[in-house]
Amino acid sequence: MNPVLRKLQVSITQQVLVLNQAFTSCRATPSIRHPIWCTASANERQYRSMPTHGIGRWRYLLPKQAPKKRREKQPMKPILAATDTAYGSLNVKLSGYDMTLVEHYTQYIHNLCNRLGIRVAESYALPTKSTEVMLMQEKGTKMYVDAVLKTHERVVQVNSLNAALCPVFMEVLLKNQPEGVQLSVKEHTEADYHSRFKARPELEGLMAQINQ
Amino acid sequence: MAAPCGRMASRPLFQLLSCFNRTAVGNAGIRQFSTASVCRATLQAKSVTERASSPWTLMAAVCLQRLPVISADCNPIEQQFKDMILQMELEKSVLSDHELQLLEDAERMRRKQADDYDSDEEEGRDGQEIMLAQDLEDAWEQKLKSFQPAPRARADVDKDLTSAQRCLAETLVLLAEQQVGKEKLWLLPQTQWQEGETLRQTAERALDSLPAGYKATFLGNAPCGVYKYKLPKAIRTENTVGTKVFFFKAILSDSAPPKAPKAPLLWLTKSELQRYLKPAYMMKVDRFVLGV
Repeated sequence: MNPVLRKLQVSITQQVLVLNQAFTSCRATPSIRHPIWCTASANERQYRSMPTHGIGRWRYLLPKQAPKKRREKQPMKPILAATDTAYGSLNVKLSGYDMTLVEHYTQYIHNLCNRLGIRVAESYALPTKSTEVMLMQEKGTKMYVDAVLKTHERVVQVNSLNAALCPVFMEVLLKNQPEGVQLSVKEHTEADYHSRFKARPELEGLMAQINQ
Repeated sequence: MAAPCGRMASRPLFQLLSCFNRTAVGNAGIRQFSTASVCRATLQAKSVTERASSPWTLMAAVCLQRLPVISADCNPIEQQFKDMILQMELEKSVLSDHELQLLEDAERMRRKQADDYDSDEEEGRDGQEIMLAQDLEDAWEQKLKSFQPAPRARADVDKDLTSAQRCLAETLVLLAEQQVGKEKLWLLPQTQWQEGETLRQTAERALDSLPAGYKATFLGNAPCGVYKYKLPKAIRTENTVGTKVFFFKAILSDSAPPKAPKAPLLWLTKSELQRYLKPAYMMKVDRFVLGV
């Protein structure tokens, strides 16, 4: 009985091996490998012999993706020059102590530009500046810290504002300006663009050395 | 409109670099305003084209506005909503540093009063605190009591129509009484257009010609409205059919210039304009005076 079974087993395994080899030669993807029928090394763990091992694998079926490249530094967007009928790149700068007011006003301006069809190039925030208010003590020369005020700044960069639309736009901005928010409209320059980046003193030192 | 439009298109843009401040500090009556107008080099000698003489007299008027200085009062509904939102935010908020300090100090006082108090067990502080947070708060309360804010609205100033400080929560428009034809009418200050100047320069001249010297910033080269007036048939000739008035918007930039007494000038809100302007004129002006 036993030798019969063994023979049967051997024959079955032999058949499956043959089938498997045929299988692999037919299939284009070489990555399919049923772990059980692999030539198992002595270090294989026990559970990988489960019939259902690897049953949930699906990522090997997806097409190969190129590895993600690191995001390159964006080049500066070109600064438009003013024409006869439209302004170039304008910076609408909002600053104030109350962040909710400044933020909401920026959002209002951005939405207004979208509605009026004015092209908004960029909308960004500049770093917050903290100001310490120091008071002189009543009797004595020492100053003590009274309060810390934080100035928040937001910029909405607007491209090619039509000269006929400009007065209307400015008036709506002025009429809706909240208390405690300063509004400033200036031309956009390269210096404004570079002020957004942190200064790198070592790099600047090295560049100066190279240029010398 | 043959001549002036063509001229306007060929003139270069005035680059307006403006900075508008709306803070409590500074001039009480008006918003802080600073502009640096950068005029690009004017285009050279465009040949003066032959202009067909138009039968319309051209005038430019300035719509000088004083923007609101204080925030408008809330409706009852707005007030209720505001209170509710503040209450909700207070309930959801986290304790601030100062409040935590208050709690800590109270805790420490309580422990000191207890019988089994061992000062060696106190950690952290080296020496006794000079100023407790509660004392700081009391000092601030005292300062607040001694602060007197100015009243938001003064009834007597509000009624004086010639003052630019009335109705601080609304925008005011300047109206002048000028001689038009045979009668004196209340209208936006205007003057006639002259050869060789832009309409905006005409409007600036109109502003300067007022007895009270107001300093204003014009918002742009483009007019915001136009009013056409045809002379009655009896007076009409071939050369003059009527007048066209172009309106330009400007924002008042300084407060309280030396007041010329008895100047026929009025500062009016939008709702009051109706009483002084002629109906047809009012209809056109109504379109560009924003009632925000």
